[in-house]
Amino acid sequence: MSVYERGITRGDLLKAGGAGALGLVAARPAFAGLARAESTTLNWLTWSDHYANDQLKAVAKSIGIQGRPTLFSDNADAYLKIKRTGSQFDIVSGDALWVPKYHKDGLTESFDLSALPVSKQLFSIARSFPFWQDGSHYMGYPFSWSTVQIYYNPKYVTTKPDSWHALLDKKYQGKISLENIPTDVMAIAARATGAKKPYSMTTAEISKAKDFLKAFKPNVLKLASQNNEVVRALADGSAWIGITNLGTDDRVKDAGGPVIKTAYPKEGTIGFIDSEQMVKASKNKAVFEKFINTTEQAPWIAQNFLTNGRPLFNEKAWKMLVNQGHGDRAKRLLYNQPQKALKMTIKGPAGNEQAYVDAFNEALGA
Amino acid sequence: MGARRFAVGEYLGFAPALILYGAFFAVPLSIVVAYSFWKVRDYNVVHEWTIDNYRYFFSVPTYVRTMWATVWVAVLSTALTIAVAFPFAYWLVRHVPRRLQRTLLVLVILPFWTSYLLRVYSWLNILGPSGAINRFLQWTHVTSSPVSFFLYDRPAVVLVLVYLYFPFAALTLYASLERFDWDQFKAAMDLGARPATAMRKILLPQIRPGITTAVIFVFIPILGEYLAPQLVGGTRGIMIGNLIVNFFSGAEYTRGAAASLLIAALIVVLLVVFRRSLEIKDPYASGR
Amino acid sequence: MPRDAEVVSPRAGLMRGLLGGWAVLVYVFLFAPVVLLVAFSFNANRYGTFPFTGWTTKWYGQVFGDYQIRDALTTTLKVSAEVTLISTVVGTAAAFPLVRSRLPFRSGIRIGMTLPIMIPGLLIGISLLVLFTSVFHWQLSPQTAVIGQSVYTTPFVMLLVAARLQGFDPALERAASDLGANTFRRLRHVVLPLIMPAVFAGALFAFTLSLDEFIITLFLIGAQNTLPIYIYTQVKFGITPEVNALASLLLGASILLIGIAFVLPTAIRRARRLRHGAAGARS
Repeated sequence: MSVYERGITRGDLLKAGGAGALGLVAARPAFAGLARAESTTLNWLTWSDHYANDQLKAVAKSIGIQGRPTLFSDNADAYLKIKRTGSQFDIVSGDALWVPKYHKDGLTESFDLSALPVSKQLFSIARSFPFWQDGSHYMGYPFSWSTVQIYYNPKYVTTKPDSWHALLDKKYQGKISLENIPTDVMAIAARATGAKKPYSMTTAEISKAKDFLKAFKPNVLKLASQNNEVVRALADGSAWIGITNLGTDDRVKDAGGPVIKTAYPKEGTIGFIDSEQMVKASKNKAVFEKFINTTEQAPWIAQNFLTNGRPLFNEKAWKMLVNQGHGDRAKRLLYNQPQKALKMTIKGPAGNEQAYVDAFNEALGA
Repeated sequence: MGARRFAVGEYLGFAPALILYGAFFAVPLSIVVAYSFWKVRDYNVVHEWTIDNYRYFFSVPTYVRTMWATVWVAVLSTALTIAVAFPFAYWLVRHVPRRLQRTLLVLVILPFWTSYLLRVYSWLNILGPSGAINRFLQWTHVTSSPVSFFLYDRPAVVLVLVYLYFPFAALTLYASLERFDWDQFKAAMDLGARPATAMRKILLPQIRPGITTAVIFVFIPILGEYLAPQLVGGTRGIMIGNLIVNFFSGAEYTRGAAASLLIAALIVVLLVVFRRSLEIKDPYASGR
Repeated sequence: MPRDAEVVSPRAGLMRGLLGGWAVLVYVFLFAPVVLLVAFSFNANRYGTFPFTGWTTKWYGQVFGDYQIRDALTTTLKVSAEVTLISTVVGTAAAFPLVRSRLPFRSGIRIGMTLPIMIPGLLIGISLLVLFTSVFHWQLSPQTAVIGQSVYTTPFVMLLVAARLQGFDPALERAASDLGANTFRRLRHVVLPLIMPAVFAGALFAFTLSLDEFIITLFLIGAQNTLPIYIYTQVKFGITPEVNALASLLLGASILLIGIAFVLPTAIRRARRLRHGAAGARS
C-alpha cells in the first residue's frame, strides 16, 4: 500500500514492477551461491528406500557428515540430472547396468572397494560383479537387489501361473497389475518370447515382444505409476495377479490383504541390483568413502531389510537378522542367495530405447 | 495530449511479462521445437535434423486414436466441470453475504493445499472394491459382495478430473459473475423478461469471457493429464499424456517434444477458431 | 452487491433452496476425499487404506521428527510465496495492455501468452534445465524452480484479470477523469477495487498451483526437495500414513490461517466500534 500512498503514476508502478522482476533475475546466481556454505553435507541423489532418517542423523552425529537425500524416480531421470548438474550431487544411486553407463560417460568415478572396511561385510559375490569392475576398482558400492516375479491370489488363481504365457489366459481379463516402466515391461516380454538379450533386442525380437504385449493388454487392470498401487490392487482384490518385486506378499498382508503366493516364471525374469556411486564432479569425493563406510554398517542394513523387505548385499546383516529371529523372512526373500541375482536379466539402459518405448506405446495405447 | 501519455502507459504493463516470457519461455520453447526435430541416441539428444518424430506420430494409429479419446474425455470433463461450477458460483455471488464470499471461495480451494497425489489416492479409497462406497453398501445390506464401480475405466477418470479442476472453474466464474451488474438483470425482468431469457440475453453475453477463460483453464491442462488416468483409469483409461510420459521416462525427449507440440498446435487451432468468444460485445462501445 | 432479498416470490425461494443444496453437495464432493485422507492419518494400518486397524497418532510423531519434511516444507512455502508474488504482479500488469491497448494481433498475443499452459510441465522443466545449466551456467536452487513455476502460473493470473477487465465500463474511468482524478487516483479508487476479486482469485490460483507443482520443480530445484516431490517419492515404495499426517497438518494450518483471516477483521471492527462508542459517550 505504501507504494500507492506515495502517489506515483500507473506507468511508474508498472515500471517499478518490471525493475523488480529484473532485479530478482539478476540476483539469482548470487542466491544460488549462498546455499553451499556447509562443507560437510553430502548431496545424495537416491531412492527413498536407500536410507532412513535416524540412520542419517546418527551418521552425522558420529562423523560430522550430513547426508542430504534428494529423491528421483527413474534411472533415466537421475542420469539426466547428474549429467546436467554435475557438481551439485556427491552420490548417486543407480541400477545394475546403468552403473557402467554412468562410468563410461564420465559421470562417476570408480574406487577401491577393498579399502573400505565395511566391504568385508558384503557377500563375496557382490564384491566381484564383472559388470561393475574397472580394473582393480569398483564402480559402485553394492546395496540391494530383487527379482521381479509373479504374485497371485490363490483364491482366484487356482493353477500356479509359472510362466509368462500363463498370464495371457482370458480368465484373467482386467486382473493383472504391474508397474509402468516401459523398458522393463518390454524386457519381460523379451524373456517371455525368448529374446536373447532382453535389453537389446533386435527389430524382429521387438516386434515379437510387442505382439506378446498386445495379447497381454486386455488382462492388464492397470499399469501402476508406483509399486504401492500394485500392492493396493492385490490387497483389495481388484487385481488377482501382480508382477512385482520380492516382498510383495508381506506388503499385501500388512495392507490387510489376502494371502498371496509367488510363482517364478520358467522363461526367467528380470530384476535390479543397485549401488551407490561417487559422482565425478563432486567436490566432496574425499569424504565419500568415510560416509559409505559409516552408513552401510550391518545394523543399519538389517534395519533397512526389516523396513523395506527385499534382499541386500550385506552378509553380516543377514547373520544379525538370523540371530534376531528374522531368519525365516530373510530366507523367504532370498537374502542368503545373492547368486540368484545373477540368474535374472539385470536392469539397464536399453540398446535401442526408442524402439522399446515406441513398441510399448503401440501395444498399450488406446 | 492526455491520450498520448496514456498510449505509452498502455504497453508498459507488458514489460515484466516480456522479461519473464522472453528469457524463460521463448528460449525454452525454441529448445523444445528444436528437440522435436532432433534425435536421441544412447540417452543423449544429438543435433541431427529429422522429421521422423512427427512422421512417427501420424504413422501409427495408436497415437491419433489415443489423442481423440483424450479430446473426448477432456470435452466431457470440461462440460461437466462448468455445469457443476456455474450454479455454485451463481449461488455464491447472489445468495451469500459478501463478507462470507471469499471465505467460502477459499474453502473450495482448501482441499487443494494438501497433495494432488494423495487426493487422487483418496478416490481409490472411495471407489475401490473395499472402498467407502462399497463398505457403506454392504453395511446397509444393499449388496452382499463388492460392486465393481467404474474404477479403472474412463468414467472414473472423468469423475476425478471434474474433482481436480472444479476449483479452477469456480474461481474464474466467480470473478466474472461478481462483476456483473445485477440491476440490468432486474431491469430486464421488470420489463417482462422471463428469468431464463434475461439470463441468456443479458447475463451470458457479458460473462462469456469468464466462461471461456474457465474452459481454457480446465480443458487445456486436462489434455496433458497423465497421473489421474494412470491412477484411477487403468489400462482402459489411458490418455495421450501417458504415452508422452512413457517417452520421457525412456529419455525419448525428441519424440515427447514432437507429440507435445502437436497437442499444443491443436489447442492453438481451437483457440484461434474460438477467439471471438474471448472478446465481449462492449455494451458501452458507443461512447468510445 | 445487490442481494435478491427483495425478491420474495415462492419460485425464487425454491430456486434459492435448490442452489443452496447444490452448494452443499459441491462441498461434500470436494471434502469427502480430504476427510478420508485425514481419517487415514490416524489409522494404524501402514498402507493408508481400509480397513481401520486401530487409532494412532504415531504418524504425526514421525512427521515432527523428520527433518527432511521440515526442510521440504520451508522450501515449498518459500517457493510458493515468491511464485505467487511474481505471477500476480506480472500477470496483472500484462492484463491491462492485453485488454485495453490498441495493440495489433491482440488475440494472437493472448494465445501466445497461454502457451505455457499448453506445453506439458515436463517439457518446460527439461528445456529450462538445459537453459539454466548449458546456457546460463547457473547452479540449480529453489530460485530456479521459482522461475520455472512462474512461467507456468503467470498466464492463469493474466487471463483471469483480463477476463474481468473486459467489459469493465470505461465510462467509470472517464467520469473519474472528468472529475479531475489523475491516472494514479483512477487506478487506486476505480480500477483496482473493480479488478481486485480477479487479482485475489489469480493469486489463489498461483499459490495453489505452485504449492502442488511437481514435475517442473523436480527438474529445476537441484539438491533440495519440496513437499510434492517428497510425497511422490515416498509413496513410490509403499505409501505410509506419515504423508497423510503431513497433508492433514497442512490442511489444519490452512484452516487456522483462514479462520484468523476471517475472524480478525470482524474482531478489529468490533473493537474499534466499541472504542468509538466509548469515545462518543465521553464527548
